Amino acid sequence: MSNKSLAFWLFLTPVILGLGVVVVIPFIYGFIYSFTDWNGITATEFLGFENYINLFQEKEFMNSIWFTTKFAFVAVVLLNVFGLGLALIVTRNLKSSNLLRTVFFMPNLIGGLILGFIWQFIFISVFGDIGDLTGIEGFNGWLSTADTGFWGIVILTCWQMAGYIMIIYIAYLENIPKDLIEAAKIDGANGFQRFKNITFPLVAPAFTISMFLTLSMSFKIYDQNLSLTNGGPANQTQMVAMEIVNTAFSDNDMAYAQAKAVIFFLIVSVVALTQVYYNKKREVEM
Amino acid sequence: MQKKKFYTGMASALLASTVLAGCSFSSGDSDSSGDGGSEDQVTVDVFQFKVEFKDQFEELVEMYEEENPDVNINVKTVGGGNDYGQALKTAFSSGEDPDVFNVGGPADVDEYEDYLTDLSDTEAADAALEGTLSAVDRDGEILGLPFNQEGYGLLYNKQVFEDAGVDAESIESMDDLEEAAQTIDEQKDDLGIEAPFALPAKEQWVLGNHLANTFLATEFDNSLSEAYEADTVEFEQGDQMQRFLDLQADYSVGPVLSLDYSQQVEEHFSLGNVAMIQQGNWVYNTIESMDPEFAEENVGLLPIPVEGQEGKLPVGVSNNWAVNNESDEEVIEASKDFLDWMYMSDEGKKFVTEEFKFIPAYEGYEDQDIADPISEEVYEYASAEETLGWVFMGAPTSWTEDHLGSAMQEYLGGDIEWEQVEEQAREGWEDARQ
Repeated sequence: MSNKSLAFWLFLTPVILGLGVVVVIPFIYGFIYSFTDWNGITATEFLGFENYINLFQEKEFMNSIWFTTKFAFVAVVLLNVFGLGLALIVTRNLKSSNLLRTVFFMPNLIGGLILGFIWQFIFISVFGDIGDLTGIEGFNGWLSTADTGFWGIVILTCWQMAGYIMIIYIAYLENIPKDLIEAAKIDGANGFQRFKNITFPLVAPAFTISMFLTLSMSFKIYDQNLSLTNGGPANQTQMVAMEIVNTAFSDNDMAYAQAKAVIFFLIVSVVALTQVYYNKKREVEM
Repeated sequence: MQKKKFYTGMASALLASTVLAGCSFSSGDSDSSGDGGSEDQVTVDVFQFKVEFKDQFEELVEMYEEENPDVNINVKTVGGGNDYGQALKTAFSSGEDPDVFNVGGPADVDEYEDYLTDLSDTEAADAALEGTLSAVDRDGEILGLPFNQEGYGLLYNKQVFEDAGVDAESIESMDDLEEAAQTIDEQKDDLGIEAPFALPAKEQWVLGNHLANTFLATEFDNSLSEAYEADTVEFEQGDQMQRFLDLQADYSVGPVLSLDYSQQVEEHFSLGNVAMIQQGNWVYNTIESMDPEFAEENVGLLPIPVEGQEGKLPVGVSNNWAVNNESDEEVIEASKDFLDWMYMSDEGKKFVTEEFKFIPAYEGYEDQDIADPISEEVYEYASAEETLGWVFMGAPTSWTEDHLGSAMQEYLGGDIEWEQVEEQAREGWEDARQ
């Protein structure tokens, strides 16, 4: 920030303007609207905290928060396990490691909506057929109950995002100095000990990033949710983002939805920042 | 060095200005038809939602402009349900309100009431069929003109019915229907079908809007505005509603809760996997795209049996044309003339039925060929006034899906009893109407 020349600010202008116009200003407006009875056209009355009080009493909203929290917890754990696992596989100097990296990353290139529809087909038709052929009950009726809906979204998210998280871990794994590993080997550390005492602490910064990414991402999931279950059955698999969209655009309750969005924003930022703070403390500086 | 700085400065200024230019947008460049005009021309801005007939509608507008050179009509189409409502709101709040636009149910009418012109002096308003104006009628003022009519019931596969020895005409009561479903179910292997029904219980609108409406219409006297003003919902025919839902669910291809609309219509009905589905005339194009011959020859429409209302089909209006009363007097007149011409002139009528493939909501279409067999049947029921109202459009916003539809899903999933469905739905209704 030392260079405060004209060119510096001119180059920065488009970005600041863009950010201001599409993020900062709407955010402030939205925050203000959440205290009114704004219906999308006009706000006639200042309601104070009424919207906020109401939303904590709404069963559906609270259900969606609980569902999203459960989902985020499971998804964060699984995504990081799979991400790190895949990264360990493809950094082993296998012949096919480049191909594997591509393959693992590929699902991430497909849009969430499309993936949702593909997996919907798999869960309903393919699983159904497998169930009929093998006679295993567990394959039938996927997505028709809240539980299978939950695991459906978890599987879809893991399949889509694990490759992305893998890339982050690869970057850190490949930066681990070979001599450290070699020294440990000479000292007689076995594979698990080397992983636990050297690799793991050295990829801690990757954990911070990946946890932050996966956490905020799993809280904000919308398109996968929409195309896979659309919140059904009986709105039991409705995530917060979807609940807010429905409040705003199908119930037409703009200000109320805005209040929900503010609460949602607070939850996501508090959870994500706390997590970053604690993980940062654990990181090892080389 | 100075020079270099100058260039970077220039470059960034340029960059900034392009970004800014991209942000600014001007109004009035949205014309999609009409090629400018002279001073004394009247310009009518139409803002409509039906993407499906955009091209045909623009064609019709061109025809009208040729006949009436002093009128210039600009059509702007913004598609599909939610988006339209949003776009219209934006247009109004930014002061670029259109002259002619669409309003759906009574909630829309309320929202825009200050802007709606009384259209009761138009020819079309007089010719509108019984019941089609109930959403837009405010104390005798007609605030909108219906687009078209839509109707639903049980679509059945004529061939399967014949093979199974079931006579569709004789199905009048719920008992008959149950018997028919049983007969078909017993011989489903011989008939080559999977099940008698396909119930897409994943779609809350199929349950909460259409299925429920059939058994709520009588309670609200078939009047959408009565439903709109009601403080509560009694479920007078709740037991019949439950029975019909159970019947469909029991004899449906399963699991119903993950079955969606496109599977129901495309995979199951169009391909002859099931004998009947609860749907309306709007599925015709989909069936036709799967199997034109089947659509033309083999699809019959059967009213859902309701005690005391046998042989009646739920027919309703999903959208209306409204004219903005803040426009200039001559623009309002021109808008009315255009709407009258579209629905009442011979050319207009022909276009409405043949090109738009609408089921007309007006009298005087006896000579016209209605596009497809399902629509034709719906129009027959409507002209004979053998109809039930679409009272669900008068229910509280999103009540049909969020309260009733979702409770019915819970019921189908075995989580709650039917009494709780009624109770939850009643609570939701009463909360919304407080």
